[in-house]
Amino acid sequence: MSEANRGVREAVPPQEAHVSEANLGVPPQAARMSALVDERTPERMPVPRKRRGPRAIGMAAGITAVLVALHVAAWRGAEMDLGMLAEGWHGMVRFVSEAIPPDLTWDPVVKDGLDACLVTLWIGLLGTTLSIPFTIVLCVLGTRATNGNAAVYQVARGIMSFLRAVPDVVFALVFVTAVGLGPFAGVLALICNNTGVMGKLWSEAMEEVDDGPAQALRIAGAGRTQLIAHAVLPACLPQLVGLVLYRLDVNVRSSLVLGLVGAGGIGFLINQSIQEFRFDQMLTYILMVLVLVVIVDLLSSFVRRRLAP
Amino acid sequence: MTTATATDALTVRGLCKSFGGRAVLSGFDLDVAPGEVVALLGANGSGKSTALKCTVGLVRPDRGRVGVFGTDLLDGSRTADRARTRVAMVFQQIHLVRRRSALDNVCAGALGRLPLHRSWTPLAFPRELREEAMACLDRVGLADRAHERVAALSGGQQQRVALARALCQRAEVLLADEPVSALDPSAAERVMSVMADLARTESIAVAAVLHQPELARRHADRLVGLRGGRIAFAGAADEVTQEQMSSLYVVNEGVHS
Repeated sequence: MSEANRGVREAVPPQEAHVSEANLGVPPQAARMSALVDERTPERMPVPRKRRGPRAIGMAAGITAVLVALHVAAWRGAEMDLGMLAEGWHGMVRFVSEAIPPDLTWDPVVKDGLDACLVTLWIGLLGTTLSIPFTIVLCVLGTRATNGNAAVYQVARGIMSFLRAVPDVVFALVFVTAVGLGPFAGVLALICNNTGVMGKLWSEAMEEVDDGPAQALRIAGAGRTQLIAHAVLPACLPQLVGLVLYRLDVNVRSSLVLGLVGAGGIGFLINQSIQEFRFDQMLTYILMVLVLVVIVDLLSSFVRRRLAP
Repeated sequence: MTTATATDALTVRGLCKSFGGRAVLSGFDLDVAPGEVVALLGANGSGKSTALKCTVGLVRPDRGRVGVFGTDLLDGSRTADRARTRVAMVFQQIHLVRRRSALDNVCAGALGRLPLHRSWTPLAFPRELREEAMACLDRVGLADRAHERVAALSGGQQQRVALARALCQRAEVLLADEPVSALDPSAAERVMSVMADLARTESIAVAAVLHQPELARRHADRLVGLRGGRIAFAGAADEVTQEQMSSLYVVNEGVHS
């Protein structure tokens, strides 16, 4: 064993050092010592061979083949070309070197950036909270545990799928045509998208609730609405609140992207600085976004941890 | 002793139920008078729980009749629905809402007789109901834990809250599906004595599935043994012999095929 290696090992407590040496295939002193500590050799029994039928093997081969084929197709379809990346790397270097150092002038860059960050946060916040009433309605109608009517259930599910399938950027563009460029269009777009996503997440949380308490209350003569209020909701309320916080986190990030298409906020400033080739300003804004996203993430995960049952 | 009389709170006649072609119950009869505790005994899979679930409407029997004070529970009419709220059930898994207080859980027993505007949230419960629920909790010895979350109570205490909920439902028939199987012996003893006491003082007809023959003998008035979906014996607690009891649990490998 070399001197350098020994130096690194010193920090490790002696017991663990033995283990790692034994693992490295160096069996001398250490392994024998541990054998002395535990002299009783445990009884052993051969493990019977697991019988795998030809069907299981065929199935595994089939699944592997399909997965490989899918990835080959995806590689071609996405026009992946590592050679191009290797040739063009200095383009990226130029782009990045123009951005460094970031432009930290207070007025107009940092000050405007802070204002825009707040706008982004407000869009995310309103987009989340204002979607809650719509989510509740869709979710109660679109959960088997709370709605027995199959037709209404399918319609509610359909609306949720539609709201999820349309990207929020598309919603934003639609609303821009109605209310013009600005944060308002961004909020409306987020409400639509978030209603679809949160409706699905909430109804999944509600489906997972143990139906025992609901069964007990049904025997006591409780009606459907009473069951929701007294058995289903109290059981999953922490999960529902946790999901709202998670969506707030996501929505603040997507309101950034909405800014790129004109919904205001920090995304708009990033887009603007790119169009003006002010990459140093762009870097400033991106760093501010990083801080904003980390703060929102920390806050929401802090609250979610406190909520955990 | 097992003949139906007009005074019986619960009458079950010829209950049959099979799952996927396997008969779980074949011709199950049961009568429970007000204030009487009947213990149902039998090995796992002998049909005890299914019998209770059929009675309370959680499982639909293939054949047979279930009556509460003479009203048929299975004819699907409005009267049947109303009569069904006279039956309460407690479970091995207890099935309380763990995040709510003991008092709120007991109040929930009354949901069947409350209009929606007095019951959409525990805050809307009328004061009289809260006071009634408090008295129910007192009956099971838990008045001092009323505002504690159910999750903070021990298993035995939770099961007593469930009994208080049945009391607050003003149930006249109480079905208990292995109410003490998950409890330690002293908690089980306490729950059983509270249940037997409620039966006698409130004239509630109690039918309890039990897995502990000794507990059954101590607290029940009558014992009914089930084997392979049929009644193996039925009689007063002190008349049933030890041999009859142990015959229920004889391992019969053929049954599992």
